[in-house]
Amino acid sequence: MTPTHFGIGLVIAATLIEGFAQVFLKKAALAHTGKTSWRVLGFAFFGIEGLVYTWSLRFVAVSVAFPLGSLSFVAVTLLSQCLLRENVDRNRWIGIVLILAGASLVAGRA
Amino acid sequence: MASDSRPSRKLLVGLALAILFDTGLQIFWKMAVSALPDQPTLLLTLEGIIHQPLFLLVGLFMVGQCFNWLAVLNHADLSYAHAITSLSYVSVAVLSVMVLGEIIEWQQLAGIMLILSGVWFVTKSDHSSAPVKSEAS
Repeated sequence: MTPTHFGIGLVIAATLIEGFAQVFLKKAALAHTGKTSWRVLGFAFFGIEGLVYTWSLRFVAVSVAFPLGSLSFVAVTLLSQCLLRENVDRNRWIGIVLILAGASLVAGRA
Repeated sequence: MASDSRPSRKLLVGLALAILFDTGLQIFWKMAVSALPDQPTLLLTLEGIIHQPLFLLVGLFMVGQCFNWLAVLNHADLSYAHAITSLSYVSVAVLSVMVLGEIIEWQQLAGIMLILSGVWFVTKSDHSSAPVKSEAS
């Protein structure tokens, strides 16, 4: 594994962590009780994501790392469907495929 | 929770701020990381973060982003708001060339265009699918 591949792996890991963080913050917005707990959990995950992402920038350029973060759309959509029970229709899946293709192009350059 | 009505002015301002915070955060984050000693281990990176004042600025952007994002999520679906903030891909790409001197190749430009196209499809999807509130608490 090259340092660049390692960096891309770190960005992808950070993306997954961000997906959970976003869902937890949305849970806080939706919740009638226990808002603070969801927010603390969300911010904690954002903190972990920050550390992992910071480390990744040692290995890849921000113009590569940031667009790769678009994979969080996949994570957020899947987690929203599973944990928030949101409906994911055809247009949304088409969008996700395009986002994945774009992210692959960006990563392929690295 | 999205509704059929147009986004409110408050929501539009919140989304614009989210894009601004996102862009500033990414640029200053890269500047801060670039100022760290060239020893890519996690522990030395953590030590460098403590001693690099640019990370204080990064932290301020993060705090601003957090408060703003919480407000945005009170007025919009997660998938809707998250998609709109993809406009920061464009602003970060432009600023990474102008400020950081990075080089954007055509593959990256094509990739960014595909990402934005994908996000457009996401925003065209039915974003009024309100989650089950009783299971959110």
